[in-house]
Amino acid sequence: MSEPGGRQANEVSRRVLLQRIAMAVASTGVLDLRAAQHVHKAVSQEKQRTGEYTPQCFNAGEYETLQRLSELMIPADDHSGSALDAGAPEFIDVLSNENEELARIFISGIFWLDREMGRRQASRFKDASEGEQTRLLDDLAAAADGSEEALQGSSAGVEYAGFKDYTARADRRLGPGARFFVWARRLIVDAFYTSPLGFEDVGYKGNQYLTEYEVPQEAIDYVMKRSPLGTA
Amino acid sequence: MCLNSPVPEVIRSPKVYDVVVIGSGAGGGTAVQVLTGKGIEVALLEAGPMLDPERDYKEHMLPHHVDHRGAGVGGAHYFGKQPWGFFRAPNGAWELEGEPYTVAPGSDFRWFRSRILGGRTNHYGRISLRFADYDFLPYSMDGLGTDWPITYEDLAPYYDKAESFIGVTGSIEGIRSAPDGIFQPCPPPKAHEHLIKQACTRMGLPCIPMRRAVITRPLNGRAACHYCGQCGRGCITASNYASSQVQILPALKTGKLKIFDLAMAREILSDEDGRVRAVSYIDKKTRTERQIRCRVVVLAASACESTRLLLNSRSSRFPQGLSNNSGVVGRFLMDTVGLGIQGYVPALEGMPRYDTDGFSGGHVYSPWWEWDKKNKDFPRGYHIEIGGGFGMPGVGSFQGQVNRIGGYGRELKGRIRKEYGAFVSFAGRGEMIPNNLSYCELDPVTVDKWGIPVLRFHFKWSDYEWKQARHMERTFVDLIETMGGKVLGHRSPQVDGKGISVPGTIIHELGTARMGNDPRSSALNQYCQGHEVPNLFVADAAPFVSNPDKNPTLTITALAWRTSDYIAEEMRKGHV
Repeated sequence: MSEPGGRQANEVSRRVLLQRIAMAVASTGVLDLRAAQHVHKAVSQEKQRTGEYTPQCFNAGEYETLQRLSELMIPADDHSGSALDAGAPEFIDVLSNENEELARIFISGIFWLDREMGRRQASRFKDASEGEQTRLLDDLAAAADGSEEALQGSSAGVEYAGFKDYTARADRRLGPGARFFVWARRLIVDAFYTSPLGFEDVGYKGNQYLTEYEVPQEAIDYVMKRSPLGTA
Repeated sequence: MCLNSPVPEVIRSPKVYDVVVIGSGAGGGTAVQVLTGKGIEVALLEAGPMLDPERDYKEHMLPHHVDHRGAGVGGAHYFGKQPWGFFRAPNGAWELEGEPYTVAPGSDFRWFRSRILGGRTNHYGRISLRFADYDFLPYSMDGLGTDWPITYEDLAPYYDKAESFIGVTGSIEGIRSAPDGIFQPCPPPKAHEHLIKQACTRMGLPCIPMRRAVITRPLNGRAACHYCGQCGRGCITASNYASSQVQILPALKTGKLKIFDLAMAREILSDEDGRVRAVSYIDKKTRTERQIRCRVVVLAASACESTRLLLNSRSSRFPQGLSNNSGVVGRFLMDTVGLGIQGYVPALEGMPRYDTDGFSGGHVYSPWWEWDKKNKDFPRGYHIEIGGGFGMPGVGSFQGQVNRIGGYGRELKGRIRKEYGAFVSFAGRGEMIPNNLSYCELDPVTVDKWGIPVLRFHFKWSDYEWKQARHMERTFVDLIETMGGKVLGHRSPQVDGKGISVPGTIIHELGTARMGNDPRSSALNQYCQGHEVPNLFVADAAPFVSNPDKNPTLTITALAWRTSDYIAEEMRKGHV
């Protein structure tokens, strides 16, 4: 599947960046020339996607599996497209192509998924029905979440407490799959939320050029009305 | 080492500089600015490369502008090899290739070093807090530690100069633990900060506009902040303080400054009359040893790196290292006590989306409020830094949430959207009491790739720090719960320290060549001048006698300014 988000998203961001320069210069007249050059450089480093991405690391079957996993992990909904639309398979391929350890994690994980699905349905993961795919992922999520594995691997926002009472639900047989599930979810989530689609989904509005910083009264009112301390 | 020893491969500069400054961070940058401004010829040694903001700063890059989205080539982020993120201002790290340090068994210490023009000022948090009057008199206040040889009044004019020149936001508050200064206006509190301020008021805590080295009005040809929220990546318009852009690159225009980059200082060479005459360094580009001759040396390589140089500069006259007849060089190593807690606040759920970036970090903070309380179970105190808002999504941003929510698919996606921007965090930054178990020394066997002996660290938090961290924990839990929120957990890297920051990780390590009036118990006098070496000065945080709950950089700048004024005056008088 081609990536509909790609080229269009790049054009949008380029336009937005150029608008920021124009706005800043028009409103203050003092924007440092270097800032403008900087933005131009940032734009020139954007990917020049013109069509379908050709995987460098994964074979066709593996890549299709990544595409399917991306759709299932972060699916399209009323708000936005899926992680597939956001380029998650390409992201994983690019990284794995430069890192044998990561490639091994994904290739072996996909083998494991296919073997497990074969045991259940005599089919590879990517060719199974959506119901069978989600049943397997549900089992892996149940095995993975709350385990040490799920708690590792993030440099920010590691949680504590509250977890000490978790019951280790990890089914030993599903262990390797659960481990892979966490890796796949981690990279697919990151790929989605670092894309223009993900920015739009959560509503990130920052990293602008502003001449004055203002906080909308509407946001302050919203919070203070909901404050358990009463409006102050 | 004798200057005249016949070492044929050493290349000596024919020129004798007035001053060699070693290190280009806050202290070195200030020395360069002040000294060249007075017409003094300065050679600046920097162990890293030159900085090119246009090439090196990535403040307006979005993750999708690079194929790896900020995870680094091969996904370095996922393997713990890129702890500060791809977009961060360049060349600082916990580990430097070929330049190790060691930690003694039973100790824990991490040392963040920078190797680039501007050093750690390129990326630091820029919180700029004056020490309080009582911070200079810790021993007089509670009988712990040692008083400084200078008072607040001695340093106040230099705080004024530093704030006026680099630009610091803030407001006049009249709080004794947070002396007022010369401020530019601070941008307004964000919506979640209104709620936090309300909770602080309920609990009796002050919550005031942040004092940060970011300019909100044009200053000395620098443009005002444009509120992109990415100060840590470096600022292309020089709207925040980095010594590289604000002091050193402008000083080049005076014609009085020569920068030697990729120059790793190895040793300060002194002669038999006890005066320093030259600095020996390794030119990393050619792997050759060179020497620069000078009248004065200003050490500003960061507290521990400067200490390493003093200890490595041994001679028959100074067998324990330069300016170390007292034996205090390396002792009294301190970091800041750190603890952070994150909470989820339902009142913030579904907040109308707006740009919460502002300048990087919180627009408000809480200065210490119990400075005059007598019967606490720990000495001194801390300030609170505040986080929250709709931050830029990046690689790893949502992993904590994903781990907590679990599962996948539509529900996970919906929860992430719903919870976005509803988190707050509180980080305490508190004062450590110097102790005998925390120090650095030369490792007896290990050298770096240039053959220079490296530092070995010893470090222990005492009960004072642990009890303070528990106080932080209770305060932050109370704040979160007062807002109707749910406590989520310590923020990394405090988790590793099990309830207190891993020593060194707040990156306020200092105190290892302290100043004082008594040469038997201090390395430097009140002008940060060697007691035994009159033409040697230290201009980083090594001279600090204590480490108050105020981030050290503003005081490094003020103290370096005072030292530089003194150097210029002493040179004019022909004393050095």
